Amino acid sequence: MTTTPAPETTGDSSLVLAAREGDRTAFGGLYARYARMVHGILLARVPASDVDDLVQDVFLRAMPKLCDLRDAARFGPWLAAITRNRANDYYRQTRAVAALTESLPEDEEELPASNTAPDAEAAVILTFVRCLPDAYRETLILRLVEGMTGPEIAARTGLTPGSVRVNLHRGMQQLREKLSQVSRGGAIPADSDGGRNSAAQKKNALRRRNEP
Amino acid sequence: MNDDYLWDGSGEPDPEIQKLESTLARFRHEGQAPEFPEIVGMPRLRFWQRFAPSQWSFGLAAATAAVLFMAAFGILRWSQKLNTTSGAGWDVESVSGTPRVESTAFGKNTGTAKLGVGQTLVTDSHSKANISIADIGTVNIEPNTRLRLVAGGSGHNRLALDRGTIHAYIWASPGEFTVDTPSALAVDLGCAYTLQVDDSGAGLLRTKLGWVGFKLEGHEAFIPAGAVCATRPKIGPGTPYFDDASASFRETLTKFDFAASTPDERSTELSKILAEARQRDALTVWHLLARADESERGSVYDRMATLVPPPAGVTREGILHLDQRMLDLWWNQLGLGDVSLWRIWERSWSPAKT
Repeated sequence: MTTTPAPETTGDSSLVLAAREGDRTAFGGLYARYARMVHGILLARVPASDVDDLVQDVFLRAMPKLCDLRDAARFGPWLAAITRNRANDYYRQTRAVAALTESLPEDEEELPASNTAPDAEAAVILTFVRCLPDAYRETLILRLVEGMTGPEIAARTGLTPGSVRVNLHRGMQQLREKLSQVSRGGAIPADSDGGRNSAAQKKNALRRRNEP
Repeated sequence: MNDDYLWDGSGEPDPEIQKLESTLARFRHEGQAPEFPEIVGMPRLRFWQRFAPSQWSFGLAAATAAVLFMAAFGILRWSQKLNTTSGAGWDVESVSGTPRVESTAFGKNTGTAKLGVGQTLVTDSHSKANISIADIGTVNIEPNTRLRLVAGGSGHNRLALDRGTIHAYIWASPGEFTVDTPSALAVDLGCAYTLQVDDSGAGLLRTKLGWVGFKLEGHEAFIPAGAVCATRPKIGPGTPYFDDASASFRETLTKFDFAASTPDERSTELSKILAEARQRDALTVWHLLARADESERGSVYDRMATLVPPPAGVTREGILHLDQRMLDLWWNQLGLGDVSLWRIWERSWSPAKT
């Protein structure tokens, strides 16, 4: 991976203003800039097989709401919030869907169709990332899956660079620990609920953070 | 550990991260922009744009302006009187009794109250309260407690505990939640903990999960799960210890930290602590490296080295000179938490932020 400078977000305002006026090309420009962020935030929360559809859905929901965005320069954080809400809606609408990672061997919905060894390995690693606390898993997925740099994540999501750096550092530390447990033959944690059960999630988050 | 590669792809590539990147890349977004439908209904007119000025009579415009002016003035007066803090405030609910935010009492049946920046929450001997902070955590407030909200939001959430007891359960990123006490600043590094302050301003912090940093000026302490640390006004945090340490160990440590001992007494106390230290008391001994007098630091180093051998890059000479990098390396060797989290927080934090 090569070093990339922090992205410019100043151009967002003009794109947002143009899109508000009905310029579909401008909205396409916003899509090009933010699709990876939206994809990553969703991937941290919902099954991979549904993420692509939801990405489009998020942008389609955002379009008519653009006029409600008071500060055009805050498009990224605003869109991130819509994305997280959409992920929550997904679970409200599909309560019957089984838990994402209740039991890893049964987590076939995360395994790509080919189910080859690399695919399965990727699915396992993704599951482990999803077991991390919210802030860490979202940031790590944006970094490791979507290929965004820390400065880019900060600029797009509106988080401070310091928070992103800490999230990356700490999330990576916890991921390494979980992966090393597997390589040592330890039990695979089955404590993620995909972010749906708030109380359990908070409890799990606290428990996970017992490893400073 | 240098995390430049993880941060922005610069620096020496980390093979493990590179492998994760290549393995997970199959989940990466590859989709092309869809054909978006025509954006209808925009631009939506703002409230005031819905009223065409050309349709106004002068009299109507004047009357409306007068009403708006009076309403604005009234709202301003009302907000000044109540010091309203909507937006920046935290929701507080009564668990029992009638806690107060400023002079306003509230009970279980009166809904939640808002604790705004600069406002004080007080519980009496019969009341308890609970603060819920979205994306940050919850704080349970015991009876006879007085605390203030110093700052809230934007990754910088700060309470001041003047007296009493709170239980904090924090799931925010490390460093985003801090609590001032009269004798030290408690910094959440990913944890659940109990913090008590008595009327003299002395405090006691007990960590249940994760770890907490305690700081007063240059004096700092790291308190991992199962450990306890006391603070005293004008002295700051004492030396942390695990709560299963012997009574003798704890008493001697308290004397060493806070008593007005003579140099000879202090030397005796230090020797006793080092002699009684168990393997897991390396937590305490590590902190003593910086707290012992220079003339006694060698004996602390020797004891520490028997409990946890110094890692590569740590030398006796460096530790005797309190080389920060070496101290940090040795701390990380304890497996109680990565001190770089603390250093990052230290660089980003400033009292002026409040």
